[in-house]
Amino acid sequence: MSDIIERLEHILVDSTIKARGTSVAKRHRRNPTKPSAKWIAPARIGNEVGVALAVVLGTIGCSHARGDSGGCTMCSYLLDGDERSPTTDELLQQFDDAHSELANEAAPLSIKIYTSGSFFDTTEIPADVRTKILTQIAKDERIQEVVIESRPEYVTPELMRETRDILGSRGIELGIGLESSNDAVRSICINKGFNLSSFKDSVAIAREYDIGVRAYVLLKPPFLTERDALLDAIKTIEDAAKLGVSTISMNPINIQKYTLVERLWRKEQYSPPWLWTVLSVLRDAREKVGRSVNILCDPVAAGKARGAHNCGSCDESITSAIREFSIYQDISVFDSLDCDCMRRWHHVLNHEDISLLIHSRSRRS
Amino acid sequence: MTEFLIGRGHDGPARVGVYRMGSTKVQTPFLVGSPNTESIIGYATLGRNDSPAGGPMILAVPSPIHDSKSFISGAREDDSILLPSFPAVSFLGPEAAELMLESQLRFINEIQGGVDPSRLIVRIPRQLTPEKLTSMLAKFSSLGVRAASVLLDGWLGPRDYSALSNRTVLPIDWLAIALGRISPSSVPFLFYLGFDVFDLGYANESASRGVRLWNLSEESITGEILPRTCSCTACAEHSDLRELDREKLHAVLRDHNLNIYQSVLSESIQSLRLGRLRWLVESMVHSSTAATSLLRKTNKSLFAFLEEFTPTSGRTNLSLIGPESYDSPTVKRFRDCLASRYTPSKRKKLVLLLPCSARKPYSESKSHKRFINAIDRAIGAARSSVAETILTSPLGVIPRELERLYPAAYYDIPVTGDWDTEETEIAADALVTHLQKFAKSAEVVAHVSGGYLDVVKRAEDRVSQRIVYTIDQHSPSSFDSLQSLQNVLKDMREIFSLKGGPPALFEDTLRATADYQFGPGAGEALVPDGAKLGGKLYRMVVCRVDKEQTCAFIGERGSLSLTLEGGRRLIPLQRYWVRFEGRKLEGGSIFAVGINEADSGIRPGDEVIVLNNQDELIAVGRSEMSGREMCDFKKGQAVSVRHKVT
Repeated sequence: MSDIIERLEHILVDSTIKARGTSVAKRHRRNPTKPSAKWIAPARIGNEVGVALAVVLGTIGCSHARGDSGGCTMCSYLLDGDERSPTTDELLQQFDDAHSELANEAAPLSIKIYTSGSFFDTTEIPADVRTKILTQIAKDERIQEVVIESRPEYVTPELMRETRDILGSRGIELGIGLESSNDAVRSICINKGFNLSSFKDSVAIAREYDIGVRAYVLLKPPFLTERDALLDAIKTIEDAAKLGVSTISMNPINIQKYTLVERLWRKEQYSPPWLWTVLSVLRDAREKVGRSVNILCDPVAAGKARGAHNCGSCDESITSAIREFSIYQDISVFDSLDCDCMRRWHHVLNHEDISLLIHSRSRRS
Repeated sequence: MTEFLIGRGHDGPARVGVYRMGSTKVQTPFLVGSPNTESIIGYATLGRNDSPAGGPMILAVPSPIHDSKSFISGAREDDSILLPSFPAVSFLGPEAAELMLESQLRFINEIQGGVDPSRLIVRIPRQLTPEKLTSMLAKFSSLGVRAASVLLDGWLGPRDYSALSNRTVLPIDWLAIALGRISPSSVPFLFYLGFDVFDLGYANESASRGVRLWNLSEESITGEILPRTCSCTACAEHSDLRELDREKLHAVLRDHNLNIYQSVLSESIQSLRLGRLRWLVESMVHSSTAATSLLRKTNKSLFAFLEEFTPTSGRTNLSLIGPESYDSPTVKRFRDCLASRYTPSKRKKLVLLLPCSARKPYSESKSHKRFINAIDRAIGAARSSVAETILTSPLGVIPRELERLYPAAYYDIPVTGDWDTEETEIAADALVTHLQKFAKSAEVVAHVSGGYLDVVKRAEDRVSQRIVYTIDQHSPSSFDSLQSLQNVLKDMREIFSLKGGPPALFEDTLRATADYQFGPGAGEALVPDGAKLGGKLYRMVVCRVDKEQTCAFIGERGSLSLTLEGGRRLIPLQRYWVRFEGRKLEGGSIFAVGINEADSGIRPGDEVIVLNNQDELIAVGRSEMSGREMCDFKKGQAVSVRHKVT
C-alpha cells in the first residue's frame, strides 16, 4: 500500500502547486514595517486568566509553502507575507509595533509570535533578528508565557538552548503543526511534508530545555469523511498527549484562498466540519486526555460558509460554548446545546462513511 | 458464495434478478439503507456502527488511512463488502482515480483467502476514460469480483452524467449499485439504466430536514402551508403533521419516505414487465429540468448502451409524448434501421408522400382507405409502381410495406397539427435519406398539408427528384384534395407510361420486412423471385419456395417468423446467428450457459438462427436477450426455440 500512498503524494504535491497558481508570485506589496496582523485577547496563562498578544510577522513566508512541495492543502498563510524578505530593521519594527499593544496591560501576559511559517527558519527570520526579539521579550517582566511557531525541521538543540537561555524561567511553548498523528492523513490529505517521528524528535528536544510543545491538530483535512475526520482528530489529540505535548490547539479547517481545499470546496468535493463535530471532538478528547494538557479551540470563521458551521440558527451559541470551553476546560458548557440540525449531522456521519458522498452544504436542496 | 443472477425480461438496460447473499435470496432491484430490516437490506460501516445483525447486509470498509484489513473480521459470512476508498480523490484527475482502483485491487490481494471475492463491491471513481475503466475492471473480474457501486451526488449535472456513463461500462453480469443522493423521481431512470440497487440515504436525509418526499416533488413540513393529505401507513393517522413533536415527526417522515421509494420501485418493476418503463422514465423526468436534461444527454451520448438492451418487438402501445421520445432507443433505432436497411423495389417509379393517421396500421384508417381508393381509381394495378411513403413524427418516414412493423404500428403521439422544429428537422432528414434510394428520374408526389408540407419543403433543397404538390392548405382527405391526387396520378401514369402488373404488395412487404429484420440481402434470400406468397397481410402471409416454406409474415407484429429452411438461407449473411456449444438441441429453450459466441447485433426480441459447433443450422427462434448477454451470462434463457432440427 505504501507505494500507492507515495504515488498519491506526488499527485497531491502537483495539485497543491496548481491550486496555489500564481498567487505566491503575485503577493501584494505590504508595509514591511508593520506586522501582517496583531491582536490581544483574554487567555489562560498558567492557572490564571490574563491577556495574550498575538503577532503575525510579515516574512517571506513558510519555506514549505514557498518551495516545490506546494505547501499544505488547506493553508495560504503564506499570502500574508511578502515576496521580498523584509530587512532586519523592518522585522524589528514590526515586532515593536505589536509589542506596543501591551503598553497598558498588567501581568500576567502572554505573547505568541507567528510568522505564517517558522520562527526558527533563518530564511524567514535571520538569526540576529531572532535573538533581538527574544531579548526584547526577556526584558519585559510582565510576560510570563511565550509561544513560538515552527516546523519540526528547524527545532534543534542549539536553538532550544539559545531560546531558553534568553527567556530565562518563563513558560515557553513551541507551536508545531502536527495536524494528524496518522502519517497517511498528514501526507496524502494535508501534504504536510514531515512524518510523526520528526514531530516526536522535536517534542523530545524541546523537553530537554523545558520547552513545552503546543500541538496544532487539524480538524477535517480533505479526502476524509466527516466521521473519519472526527475520529482522526480525537486520536491525534490522544496521541499528542501521550507524546508529552503541553497544550493542544485544535483547529477546524477554514477555507483559505488559493488552496487545494478551496478548489475542492468550490467543486463540492469538500465541506468544512460541522460545529457538532468540533464539539464532539473536544468533549471526547477532554475526557480521554489528562487534565495537565489544555485543549484549546478558537474556530476561525465559525458559523460562516468557509468555516466550521451548522445550520445557521445554532452556530452562535455553539461557537461561544467552544470559546468558553477553551478557557475553562469544562465540557459541561456543551450540555444544554441542542438543535434540529443534529439529526442531519448524524445522517452525514453515517451516510458519508458508506457512500463516500461529500455532503456539501453550499447548495440548498 | 454471493451470486447475482439476472432473470428474464428486459426494458432497456433495466433487468430483474436475484442477488444471493449466502443462503438469502434477495430479489433485484432492491433498496439499501439503515437500519437493517425485513424490507430493506441494511448497510453500515465496519467498526463504526453496531455489529451487523439480522439478515445479510452491505458493509463498508473504512478509509485506507486505516489498516483496513483489520475491519474485515467484523463482517459475517453472508454480508457483502464495499471496498475501502477515499472520498473526492478522483477529483485530482485520472491518475488519482486510477490509484483509487489500484488500491482496491491491492486490498483484495491483501485479504486473499479471507473473503470470497464474489462478496466484494468495487467503488467506481470518476474521471477515468471508458477504455481505462474497462481494462481496470477486467482485473477485478478476473479476481472474482461481481459487483460495483457508482456514486451520484443527486444534482443530476455533469458529475451524475459521468456516473451514469461509468455504469454503462460495467461488465453486464455485475450487480450495479447506485450510492449517494437518489431522489424517488430518479429511481425509474436509474433502474432503466441498469442499476440494481438504490441507496435510501436521501429518504433519511430528507426526514432529518423535515422534508416529506413524493414521486415528483418534496414537501417541507416545517413551513406555514398545510401539509398534503397522505394515506400511507406512516401518515394516515396524523391529520396535520405540524402538530407532531420532533421525534415523532422524524419517525413519520422516515417511514413515509421509505414508503414512497418502495412504491416507485415497484412501479418501475411493473413497468418493466409491461414494456412501459421507458414511458415511466420519460414521464418522471419532467419533475425537474436537470432530470430532463440528463435524459436528453443520455439519449444522445449513451444511445448505444440503451439501444443494445432495448427489445425490438413489443405489443403495448408506445406513447411518444415529448421531445424526450424523439431519440429514444426504439424510435431512433427505427429511423437508423430504415435508413440503412430499406431498399425500395425496382418497380417503384413514383414516390407518393402521405400524412400519417392516428389509427394503425395506416391502411386501416379512414383517411388512408380514401387515399388507397383514389390511387386505385387513378392508376389501378399500376399502384405497384408507387412507393407509398408515410410521413410522421418522430419516426420520420414509413414505407407502406413496413407499416405493420413494431414500432410503426404501435406508436401514438399527441396530435395538434403543429410540428416543432426538431420534429420537422427529424422527418425532413429521414425523407432526404429515403429519397436518395430512388432514381433521380422518379417523381415525388406530395399529398400533404400543414406540418407535413413543412417537412417536405424543408427537405426539398436536398432532394434530387422533382416534387409535385397536389394540395395547398386543404385537408389531404377532403373530396377536392382526393380529386387533385387522382388527377396528378393520372398525369403521372401518362408521363411514365405506368403499366399494371400482378399485385406486388405481398412481395414488397415480405422483402422489405426481411431486409429490415435481418439486414440487406435477406429479402432476396427469403423471398426470391418466383416465391409463392399466400394469405392475408392482417393475419399471416406464408412464403414458399419450391413448395418449401421459408418464412411467414405475422400481421399482428408485422415481422417474419423463420422456418428452418429460411434460417438456412440466412446463414451466408452472417447476421443474427447464435452458436450453440454442442451438436444438437434438447428441449425448447437455449440457455446462455450453452452460448459463447453470438452476433453482437442481436437484441432481445429478434428472430435468430442457431448454429451448432460445426456451423450447421440446428434451430430458429426468438432471442430473449442481447447477443452480448448470451455470451457473458452464465445463466438465463437466451433463445426460445421456434423450430429445431430433429
